[in-house]
Amino acid sequence: MPLTLGSIRPALEGAIPAVIATCARDGTPNVSYVSEVHYVDEGHVALSFQFFSKTRQNVLENPRATVIVVHPATGAQYRLALRYERTEESGALFECMKAKLAGIASQTGMTGVFRLRGADVYRVDAVAEVYGTPIVPDSPAADYVGQLRRAVTRLAGAPDLSTLFDVLLDCVCRDLVISHAMVLMSDTAGDRLYTVASRGYAESGVGAEVRSGDGIIGAAARARTPIRISHATSEFGYGRAAREAAERRGLADRLAQEIPFPGLAESQSQIAVPMLAGNRLVGVLFAESTTTGRFGYGEEDALCVLAAVVANSTDLYETESEPAAEEAGPAGATAGPTGPPLRLRRYAENDSIFVDEEYLIKGVAGAILWRLVQGYVQERRTDYTNRELRLDPAIRLPDVSENLEARLVLLQRRLEERCPALRIVKTGRGRFRLEVRRPLALAEVRA
Amino acid sequence: MSRGVPGEPLLDAELAAFIQGGVSVVVATRNPDSVPDVARGCGCRVSKDRRRVTVLVEPARAGSALDNVVANGLVAVVFSQPSTHRTIQLKGSDARVVRVTRADRTVALRHLEAWVAELTGMGYRPDFARAVRGAADGMAAIAFTPTSAFQQTPGPGAGERLER
Repeated sequence: MPLTLGSIRPALEGAIPAVIATCARDGTPNVSYVSEVHYVDEGHVALSFQFFSKTRQNVLENPRATVIVVHPATGAQYRLALRYERTEESGALFECMKAKLAGIASQTGMTGVFRLRGADVYRVDAVAEVYGTPIVPDSPAADYVGQLRRAVTRLAGAPDLSTLFDVLLDCVCRDLVISHAMVLMSDTAGDRLYTVASRGYAESGVGAEVRSGDGIIGAAARARTPIRISHATSEFGYGRAAREAAERRGLADRLAQEIPFPGLAESQSQIAVPMLAGNRLVGVLFAESTTTGRFGYGEEDALCVLAAVVANSTDLYETESEPAAEEAGPAGATAGPTGPPLRLRRYAENDSIFVDEEYLIKGVAGAILWRLVQGYVQERRTDYTNRELRLDPAIRLPDVSENLEARLVLLQRRLEERCPALRIVKTGRGRFRLEVRRPLALAEVRA
Repeated sequence: MSRGVPGEPLLDAELAAFIQGGVSVVVATRNPDSVPDVARGCGCRVSKDRRRVTVLVEPARAGSALDNVVANGLVAVVFSQPSTHRTIQLKGSDARVVRVTRADRTVALRHLEAWVAELTGMGYRPDFARAVRGAADGMAAIAFTPTSAFQQTPGPGAGERLER
């Protein structure tokens, strides 16, 4: 059976440096190490263009090149016959290689030295194994097909979006044995992502935001490509990304104190996989580990499958959530509010809401909460449908495709964590109730 | 740049020691159609006067390297120490395939020991280090006069010519 590029992907991870031979126009050969031979598709690889090297000068003159890559677990070597085709300076391939390169730079103490100028794409004319005696690796390569089959079945049974997120993280953490993971959903404008669920962290971080383009999560979102880093790097660290993003923002956002991003201070391996429904970015699935090189192609493939299943399921919860009249739950039978009043303050500028001086939530979820507590204070109203929220001008949903159900999950979870006196309880498909356990005192702050 | 003619040899004693140590040895050649090939070597020997470098390769792993050397005598060889990333490239245009001597076999054995020590020092398994380097069962030797040397340690200085 002829070798395919796909069958040697582990050798294209850059764990062991590859070597490349090229030939100048005058016929002089050249040999060099390359930090990364990146798998593009079954017929192409890409090399990182960082410096104006002899290798690069040669392939611009004479496109033929030969590389040897090494399998990091077995020591098997493969000789690839290449032909230079083009250089990409933006887009998914570029972003992916940029993040990976930053990881390699960090690993080799070269942070700031390596900068990706372009992704040089080569056609692969031949793949052959170099004669040798590869070893049997300590542990066989991960094969997650069985786990994925069970996971997909469980995901299909999730009754609502909130459960879907929980099942997803169960599958990631239990079946793929990943200790830390989170799900972020994209807003309609696509310029930021907000955390809706997480596992393994001291603080859930639900509500924490990442701007598109910031860090590995933002880069995966913007480029719509999975990004994997084997050696954590400050360049793509979300800590720095979040800090810088906060500095760029205005007064209201600073008032609405940033929900600290969950995350491992000592993270070594990270992977961010976009959740795509067609071309639409639904969110990002992120995982990390304190072990270097924790995520390989096996994990990337598995997370991509899970992300795709979830991304293409979220719309079902939106479109199926319009209730039939008889599905309405029983009228509120909760005990009346008691105790000192809960003071809720809203900053109209960004719909941020503070509870007893503590920041709770902002944006669309903040607008929804404000609508609910106003309804309660003014008309003692507690029962709502998704449909009426969607149509409510006060909530200013950007458009019908806005992921309202995801906003409700976010609000529900923030209330659970930070404001147990208020609860959102599902009372049927597309129907929910606000439970109020303390009297409410509302105040608005206009910009 | 000095040619392999009277005067100082291109390699100083330190560089000669470096390329004969536990470094990876990788050879590039090209065929008459200027299609390049690359092969991993299994050791290197420098002549006493430091003007001649002999690189050992396994024919079974060498691709078209030997044919190419016979055809045109052009080689480029890169030597790299994994633990430090120190990397040097030598080029020559008078390469020939020469007979493997008993001394070459000793060189290959010493190289294997030094290479395994280098990689195990970095945390790799010894059998992995041996698999990458190859067993050097059958060997061929390529001898050439280095006419240029380049510093190729990763970083902005990579590619600079070493002068003597």
